[in-house]
Formats: sequence, structure tokens, C-alpha cells
Amino acid sequence: MTGVQKEKFIIPIGPQHPALKEPAHFEFTVDGEMVTSASVRFGYVHRGLEKGAENRNWAQALYLLERVCGICSHAHSTVYALGVERLAGVSAPPRAQAIRQILLELERIHSHMLWVGVAAHEAGFETLFMYSWRDRETVMDILESFTGNRVNYSANTLGGVKYDLGPQQSDSILRGLDSLEKRLHYYLKVVTNDESFLRRTRGLGTMTVEQADALGAIGPTARASGVTRDLRVDSPYLMYADFPIHVITDTAGDLQARFVVRIKELFESARNIRTAMEHLPEGELAVRFPRKVRAGEVVSRIEAPRGGLFYFIKSDGGENPVRVKVRTPSLRNFMSVLVGSVGRQLADVPMILSGIDPCFSCNDRAVIVRRDGVPATEFNPRKESASQSKS
Amino acid sequence: MSIDIAPILKMLVFPGGLTLLALGLLYEYIDRKLVARFQNRVGPRVLQPLADTIKLLAKEEVIPQGVIPLFFVSLPVVALAGVLTAGLYIPMAGLAPAYSLPGDLIITVFLLGLLTLCIGLAGANTADRFSLVGATRTLTQLFSYEAPFLLALLCPAILADSWQISVVHRSVLGHVWMALPMAIGFFVAVIGLMGKLELAPFDAPEAESEIVAGALTEYSGRGLALFRLGKDVALVLGITLVAAFYLGGLANPLEFLLKTLGLLVLVAALQALFARLRIDQTVGLWWRIGALLALVQLLIVVLLKGVIL
Repeated sequence: MTGVQKEKFIIPIGPQHPALKEPAHFEFTVDGEMVTSASVRFGYVHRGLEKGAENRNWAQALYLLERVCGICSHAHSTVYALGVERLAGVSAPPRAQAIRQILLELERIHSHMLWVGVAAHEAGFETLFMYSWRDRETVMDILESFTGNRVNYSANTLGGVKYDLGPQQSDSILRGLDSLEKRLHYYLKVVTNDESFLRRTRGLGTMTVEQADALGAIGPTARASGVTRDLRVDSPYLMYADFPIHVITDTAGDLQARFVVRIKELFESARNIRTAMEHLPEGELAVRFPRKVRAGEVVSRIEAPRGGLFYFIKSDGGENPVRVKVRTPSLRNFMSVLVGSVGRQLADVPMILSGIDPCFSCNDRAVIVRRDGVPATEFNPRKESASQSKS
Repeated sequence: MSIDIAPILKMLVFPGGLTLLALGLLYEYIDRKLVARFQNRVGPRVLQPLADTIKLLAKEEVIPQGVIPLFFVSLPVVALAGVLTAGLYIPMAGLAPAYSLPGDLIITVFLLGLLTLCIGLAGANTADRFSLVGATRTLTQLFSYEAPFLLALLCPAILADSWQISVVHRSVLGHVWMALPMAIGFFVAVIGLMGKLELAPFDAPEAESEIVAGALTEYSGRGLALFRLGKDVALVLGITLVAAFYLGGLANPLEFLLKTLGLLVLVAALQALFARLRIDQTVGLWWRIGALLALVQLLIVVLLKGVIL
């Protein structure tokens, strides 16, 4: 209470706040309506999933890791399955790979449409929110008729997939895609033409290519800034080498560009699904998978809806994974929010935040900081004493 | 000893008091239902606003730390009393106003503005940061739309040579709708009304994705119920006033219902159409375009009047 220093006015957003659908804590120092600094704190929904995976066998961990994210669940189970299969020297049959890819792209459609609604809601554009979520039901119905579930499809198994794509499902997918594409054209028109909406998105949270690289942004957020980075093209997995996609980029780098890039990506997804279904390979759905996986380490990466998803999996030849490290794409995009908010209006902050399509619960990991100078290599928490300082 | 109960009835039952509250709840329902249907939602049931009000009234009112309790409790009462008083000067249901005096147009607009002022003060009274930002925005918005809104209402008043609502109302009755020759004024009045009522897209003062519930974040129970009722009544009064001035007057209750409901449909459609404006965009819009348009309209009215008469 010196009275000399100018008092800082801090607007806390979270851990509980209507703008956030998941808990995280942001502190924005404001001067009037202007944000002068920003900080973020995570860790409210750390669920110990990595540790949990170590205590399950290879197959059980698949179902656990599918629950890392409620939106891109298939991406998580696929990246894990691909990694473990590589480690075990097993390869899923081509038909299974194509079905995995179709599901990944369907999931991208549902994830991006969900995001369009959420971002419109943050802008106070409830009509677009309601419309895009209504049309998102089309793809949710497809996923449900295909796998029996709307989220956490549980379609993967180690060595293949569980569900086959019959003619009936193919028909419903094709019909759904047709109507979705019509609606997507409409939404593309709205986000590029609606004057009141453009006033909230154009020139907001702008990142140049250099900034996007320096801040480590990935996924559609980076592609909207002109970074041509997409794991589906850069290191093709599944059938992406046979059924390639075109990378959608934009040069504007602002929030509007992120809308445009995400919606255009969905046309690309729809095209890719059609191609994959036309050339769906015949054959088995799954191969036998061993109980024990030979010792080794593997890094598995795929392009999740929000960007590159990274898994590190380590085996000592036993029935359980020794270590599973998950790095979700949202974590790499948060820096762009903190940097992008400074100098903007408070009203723009929820928009900038939602612009990266954040998924908070997915990126909560425990980080073990060792201050005793012992190198962290070959660190196995199971063998270490339990008195490590965790933060 | 005889008591004249006519003034008491006027204040408590019609056109003030119960009638206004009932109409307020009904119009809130219609507004919410229409917006919901435009947005492809189901929307509330007819009695939902009433149920909300009763529930809030029955709930405990939490008085947070750091407020002046007297202000915290009395501001909602003053706000509601203000708008209910305003109802006495307005030709409700197409009948003559309960009270009428020269210059009551200014009184009515002031009493409607009192609601906003009370909401702003209520927000500034609490120590909550969301409330403080909300209060700042509420008062900022008050200063931006109030002048154009008043100017827009003055245009028919100047034609009628009176600032008395009942005289202006009588003068527009039977003539061509003022909304046709004074389209600009009508436009400014409707948009100004939406700004006054903090309806989307002018709902930056209560933008939930930024500042939770704005100035009223700390309010619960009775205080919140009274503020909500106040807003509902202000919606009815504002729509009635604009309809009376610009839509050819309200000759009878049926005309009143048709014209105000028609205006409500327009207002609801506008709510569903736009993304929320930032507070600086709202202020810029009003002072750069709204005020200018209202002044142009006023100028046209004054000039025409000079030429014709």
C-alpha cells in the first residue's frame, strides 16, 4: 500500500470462467481496456495419463490414451497404435490403414466445425455458433453409425481396426459429405463476408511466418501464417502417401485467416475421404499382435486437427510400456496467445485465445524438474525414490 | 372521508405497476423465443421469464464484501422504480398516458436512462473486477447512444411543436407513418433502443466470454430479479415509445399489440444477425455514424418545417 506505484489491474480469466470450457488460469494486466501483459498457468486437470499408461499393458494403454482428448480421440489412439506397431515390427493391413485415415479426416471435420462454433460464440455471434453445431451433427451421426460412438470411437486396435466400412456406411458418409460441403461453402462465405464478424477477426492476433516459427506455432494456426508444415505431407503415415492432401495455407496470419484455413482444410478432408473410399484396399482388418513388444524406443507423430501430435514410446521388452510421453499441439500454440494479446483490447483476448483452438486438459502433463544436477536421461520414475520434487 | 383510488390504480395496476411487469415478462419471452428460433434453438417456454423471476426473488441475496450495502440493496429498487414511473407518461396499450405534462419526453428518456445509470453504479459499487470493467463499459455505452437516441425521438417532437409525449402522439395519429419520411430517424431510434437495452450486438457490457455478467456479476437473488424486471419493462417502454412516434401512433390496444410486436420481431432479427461489437467499435459507431445520422435527420426536419410552414 505505498500508493506510489501505479496499481496493476489484473483481470483473471479462469480457472473457472465462462470463456473457458476447460480449466486454465490466465492473468491479463489491463490498462483500461488494453492488455499490457499476459501470463498463463496450467495443471488444473492433470490426470496422470502417462503414468497410468505405464501401469497397463500395451492394449489397455490404447484405450486409456484414447481418452487424452475428447475431441481428437482417434488421433491419439492412432498415433499410439502406429508407434507401438512400429516398435513391435507389425504393420496394420492396408484396409485398416485406409479406414484409420478416413476416421482421422472425419474427426478433423468434426473438430474444426466445433471450433468454428466456439470461436463464433467468443465473438458473440451466437447464430453462427448454433448453425455450425447443428451441421456438425451430420458428421457426428456418421461417426456414430460407423463405430457406435460419437467420441472415443474405440475403432483402433493394435495391429488394425475393429470396424469395417460396408457399402451402407459408405453411402451415408458420401451423402453426409455432400451436405456438409454445401454448408461449409456457406460458412466460408460468412467468415469472409460478414462485416460485423470481420470486424472481430480481421487483423487480430496477426503472426508473420517468422513469428509463427519463432513462437513454435503448429497446425492450422501456423498454416494461417504461411508456414507450410503438415505432417500428412512432410512425413506421410497411414495411406497419406497414396491419397495425398494439399496443404492449405494463408498469408494473412490473423484470426480471419485461421477461419479460412480451417474451413478450407475441411474441403481437403472431404476430398481425401472420397478418394480413400473409392480406392479402399481389400483385405484383412487386423493382424495378430504380440503380447510383449521388443525393447526399444519410438517417436510417433501424426497431424491431429490442432497440429502435430507427438508420442514418445519406450519398451523394455515387457508387457507394459516403460514410458509414454505425450505432447499435444495446443501446448506449442499458447505462446502465440500470450504474445498476441499484449497491446490488444480485453474484448479481443477470448478471440485470440480461441483462435488457436486450445485444448487445455490434453496438454496438462507433470514435469519433473531436477535441481540436483543429475541428468534426466535414462530417468525412470519407478526406480527413483518417491521424493522427487514435482511441479 | 373518501380516498381517491384512481391514482393508486394507475400506479399499481394500469398502466403502471402490474400491467407493465406482466407485459415486460411477456415481451422478454417473445424476444428470447424469436432469437432462439432464428438461431435454430428451441427457446424458453411462455412462463420461463416469470419462473426465473420468482426463483430469483425467493433466493438468498448475497451481499459481497467491499460494497456499500445501502447502495447495493437500493440501486435495483431505484432502477425498477424509475422505469415503472416512466411508464406513466407513455401511451400504453394505445390509451392516453396516465399523466402528461409539457416536457415529459425528456423525463421519460431520463428515467429510462436511470436504469442504465443504476446498473453502472451497481457495478462500480462492487469490488469485483468483472463488475468494474462491466460498469465502465455500461456507462461508456450510455454516453454513446443516449444523445443520438434522444435526437431521433426529437424529430417527430419538433414536427409536433411539443416535447409532451401525448401531444406528439396525437399529432402523428392518422398521418402517414413517420418511419417513411423519417427513415433515418427511425433507424437511429431502433438501433439506439437496442444499445439502450444492451441487446446483441451491443452487449459488450455483459459479454459473458470476457467479463462474465458485467456490472451485475455480483448480483444474485432479489437485486438481480429487480434489475431484470427493470430491463424487461424498459424493453416494453422503449418499443412503445418508438412505435408511438414512428409507426403512425397507437390508436387502440390492438394496434398497440400489432405495432409493438412487429417492432419486437425486427429487434429480435437484428439481434440474431450480427457478431458482438467491441466497446470501442460501439462508441465509434454511435459518435461517427449514429450521431451524424440523427443530426442530419434533425436538420432535414427543421429545414422542411421552415419551408412548409
